[in-house]
Amino acid sequence: MQYVLLIYEDESVYGPDKNGPAMQPIRARHMALVDELGDTRLGGSGLKATAVATTVRTEKGQTTVYDGPFAETKEQLGGFYLIEAPDLDAALAIAKRVPLAANGAVEIRPLIPPMPR
Amino acid sequence: MSGAALDGAVRAAGARITAALAARYRDLDLAEDGFAEACSRAAETWPRDGCPRDPAAWLYRTADRAALDALRRRRVRERLPPEPPPPEPTAEDLMLDDANLIPDERLRLIFVCCHPAVAPEARAALTLRLVCGLTVAEIARAFLVAEPTLSQRLVRAKRKIAEAGVPFEIPRPEAWAERLDAVLQTLEIAYAKAHEDAAGAGRHAGYAQEMLDLTWVLTELLPQEPEALALAALVRYAEARRPARVDETGAMVPLSEQDPRLWRRPLIEAANGYLRRAAALDSDGRRCWQAALHGTWCARRSLDQPAPWAGILALYDDALLTLGDDPVIRLNRAVALAEIAGPEAALRQLAMLDPEKFAGFPPYHATRADLLRRTGRIDEARAAYRSVLAFDPAPAERLWLERRLASLDGA
Repeated sequence: MQYVLLIYEDESVYGPDKNGPAMQPIRARHMALVDELGDTRLGGSGLKATAVATTVRTEKGQTTVYDGPFAETKEQLGGFYLIEAPDLDAALAIAKRVPLAANGAVEIRPLIPPMPR
Repeated sequence: MSGAALDGAVRAAGARITAALAARYRDLDLAEDGFAEACSRAAETWPRDGCPRDPAAWLYRTADRAALDALRRRRVRERLPPEPPPPEPTAEDLMLDDANLIPDERLRLIFVCCHPAVAPEARAALTLRLVCGLTVAEIARAFLVAEPTLSQRLVRAKRKIAEAGVPFEIPRPEAWAERLDAVLQTLEIAYAKAHEDAAGAGRHAGYAQEMLDLTWVLTELLPQEPEALALAALVRYAEARRPARVDETGAMVPLSEQDPRLWRRPLIEAANGYLRRAAALDSDGRRCWQAALHGTWCARRSLDQPAPWAGILALYDDALLTLGDDPVIRLNRAVALAEIAGPEAALRQLAMLDPEKFAGFPPYHATRADLLRRTGRIDEARAAYRSVLAFDPAPAERLWLERRLASLDGA
């Protein structure tokens, strides 16, 4: 099965543009995890700060473009891994290894399998 | 005749059949539906053709075929490529007699039902449904929820298990401790439901039996896990005391005033056996300690013997060392201390606890009320009893508290 691991943290710990001193060691730990995962990791990336997020919202057929993330929350989506894992326990084991600077959460979501052709 | 045979086979082997199918097809609905189909075919054909020689084996084979057919139909409907059929039985499998035909996959199923990814309020219900074979109506009654609510919960839990990819496997060693604890916690919560009902007026009687069975199954499957053995002991000690927990007027009887001659000796003996096995495995887990506490109480043979307060106090002292400085343990220790060093000493211990932490915890107020009463601080005792009653306790406890409160007027 394929799962996406969504990383939620208070992005302010990484500094205003997520390039503060806390960022370097976390990046290094992500790179190490990426190396360890090898083919298990299908993709993923860190995301720039919500300060540069833009949202397109549709309501009653009208689309409006907004500055900012889809919701203001204490913790923000800051990055994700796309992985291949045999089952939820294997995905959980990887999620527990995802580095966090301090408090945070990693949400595990199975992907909808592709349409049969 | 065949109706009774079917009922008997369903009770004896139903859970095992469902578990085996669930493990084989990794699909709880398919397993349940397959078994239901087999039961309805049995109800149709057994009265006509006679009861098979081995009813459980017949049900298993029929349910297996029904599940496989349903799987094939589903794959055709969803236009998926046909799944390779499950492996054909090997020559060795075929040599096994019918008694060994149905593999015992209940442990795997328990771990699936109690996976931390399953909603906590659904875990116990799912375990009782799939591993013990209780009906939705029975479980709804036990948990005091409406049947549709419970059905919804079960449907959601099964959907989560299927779609999130919860594995039908025994947990890997690195996850073992966490996962076993989730199982034991689920059973504890489920048993607490049965235990709360002190009067045990029918509704929970059969359900408590299920908890005895389920903890037994777990120790059979995991004979080397001290915490599983300790839980089996705990449930038995608690059930053993059931006949003495409520007096003839329906009021609760505190443990130290219960007549040990009313306790069920065979259950205590069984519990002692589990506790000995757990102790031999050299564990210092929380449940082992709790079981030792119950075991100390249950060693009392009659009200003529002194209550074992000294032993209880020593166990609380041990707990503070091995399990950590827990405020609830300190509270309970104060109850034992009152019997050894007097209520004043216990009140001094209580005064060292943070009252804010205990504001919403009825046992704290009940303990305080009792200690204040015994030291003659009647007005404060009265107020403390009233704060316990404000939590709307169960009827047996309410009656007891109200009597204690009324007794203050004569003091």
